[in-house]
Amino acid sequence: MDRYLEQAVVEVPQLIGIFVTAMPDSLLFSSWVRDGTEWSAEDVASYFGDLVRSNRQGLKALGSWSSEMQVTIESAESLVVLREISADFVCGCVFERNAPLGMVRLHLKRLLERVAQALPKVQAEDRPRGTRIMEFLDRYAPDPHAVTLRVSLRSGIPVDDLKSPASLSADQIKRLEETACKILGVHQLSL
Amino acid sequence: MAIGDLRGLFAEQSLTFLAEIPYIYHCHHYNLFHDQTIDDALGEDEGARVRTTAAHNSFRDLLSAVFEKAGASTPVERIALASELFSWMGQGKLALDVSAAGGRARSPSLHYGYAWREKYGSRVKRVEPADAVAAGFAGAATELAFGLPSEAIAVTERKCVAARDPECEFELTPTTGHPPLPPVDEMTVRRYVVPAVGGVDEARIVAISQGLLEFMRAVQGDERGLVAAFNVFVTAHLPGYYNETVYETVHRAERTAPSSVPAIEALMQQAGQACVFFTFGNVLLSPEWDGMVGAPTGDPSDVVSFCAAIARGLGFGHWLVNEYAPRKRLVLQCTSNYEVPFYRSRYGVAKKPRSYFIQGAAQAMMVLAEVVKWKERPQLTNDYYVDLFRAKPRYRVEQTKCLMRGDTISEYVVEAM
Repeated sequence: MDRYLEQAVVEVPQLIGIFVTAMPDSLLFSSWVRDGTEWSAEDVASYFGDLVRSNRQGLKALGSWSSEMQVTIESAESLVVLREISADFVCGCVFERNAPLGMVRLHLKRLLERVAQALPKVQAEDRPRGTRIMEFLDRYAPDPHAVTLRVSLRSGIPVDDLKSPASLSADQIKRLEETACKILGVHQLSL
Repeated sequence: MAIGDLRGLFAEQSLTFLAEIPYIYHCHHYNLFHDQTIDDALGEDEGARVRTTAAHNSFRDLLSAVFEKAGASTPVERIALASELFSWMGQGKLALDVSAAGGRARSPSLHYGYAWREKYGSRVKRVEPADAVAAGFAGAATELAFGLPSEAIAVTERKCVAARDPECEFELTPTTGHPPLPPVDEMTVRRYVVPAVGGVDEARIVAISQGLLEFMRAVQGDERGLVAAFNVFVTAHLPGYYNETVYETVHRAERTAPSSVPAIEALMQQAGQACVFFTFGNVLLSPEWDGMVGAPTGDPSDVVSFCAAIARGLGFGHWLVNEYAPRKRLVLQCTSNYEVPFYRSRYGVAKKPRSYFIQGAAQAMMVLAEVVKWKERPQLTNDYYVDLFRAKPRYRVEQTKCLMRGDTISEYVVEAM
């Protein structure tokens, strides 16, 4: 998929990076970032997953959500467009700030069509929440090599229990989730 | 009197002093992980309180000694000298606007907040301030400048660069003081060392460590009050801070939540691993090292010797290689280190080995010697560190002897698993 992305972005000028995020866990599925870019897709993908989730919920509350939802952010340095490709994937594209919006929309349409064709059909797997939280921490927590010990200290859940997260009790999962939010500095997990 | 002139060296034991108060060098990777572990164990609020108190106590010892040696007697002299010292140590440039009734302090570049934002800022949103060390320092400096008793000034960090504020800001307010604890000074330290002995490759380790000690004499804060050297932010720091935070935390856990103690000890070991990987490793790859010792040879026994030399050069004490069998076993010993004098003078004889930092450091020395391909001059990035130490453990460490426990030496045995 990463190689396909490389091919898909060849004729898209002023594109800095593209990242495809798998929902609902906001885990990075695949990405391409232009050489010389200081940020990495891994660093930003989960945040934009959160944004899409919030946007989706907000629009639903307004009664105006549709699967064609697109978020455009015009910051000082870049133009960011987030688009739901399907119920399972969200694509984020980062353009240079001076890219004309009309051209961006034109290129984006073609680009997303190419990306959508390459994405697999996903059968959602209903895995235990404890497992998903630990995997999320492993991917996004600072110092991931130490995260099990850190979670144990903060939550009071024994390390041995954390090594089998699928078997955690409801109370332990609640504490695990609170601890994960604390370690990651977020109010809720994008799971 | 220049601050550098206040330095002292207990050469036989590779222990360094500033106005007869012990000081050492640690990098931001170690410092941040250390503080993080205290907060993990105690929670943010209590963690910050313990860290601030420890910083206050240790800086009160240092500043008292520095003011006396430098003959600084007026509040203006003392505040100016304290700020200069803090910056010299690489802790940051802190502007103190204070009186006997408290006041404010601010800085755009404190070691902890600045380095936290550099290392973690793109991954984690932090709301709690990070600069307990600066808070403790500000309180101690204000008290001593105006002749106030210990802890007569409470300090709260209201804004922090780590929490994406443009500057760190502190509020200093009067509170009830109490008599200070006796300082752990050079005289105390000398009571808790044993005669230095030589180990494997001793002559070369002595020569390199002397060169490194001399090199470190030139290290001091830049215009921001930070020391950017060896690809890390370095601080001249106070063992009293590290020791009080670690042992107060562990002792409290032993009393109130004993099941959490192994996790705290393991994380403190990991802090030692981070120190060796980032600081020792980047020293080994630095142009200064090339000039002093030569380019990396890739020989594991060289790396083990070099690490012992670097530890001595940073003022960690007299580390020696007692035994080294490539890929199998490393026996590291210490006749002195920066933890023992504090522990013995504050708490007495320990019931079990407690040099968590050196336990982790010894383990990391083996990993650096055996796994890292030095001739390829790898980038010692955070990702590389995580890959190395998240992988299935290659070596286990056991501290078999401990000066804190009353043994004749401290000994750390690392063996292949």
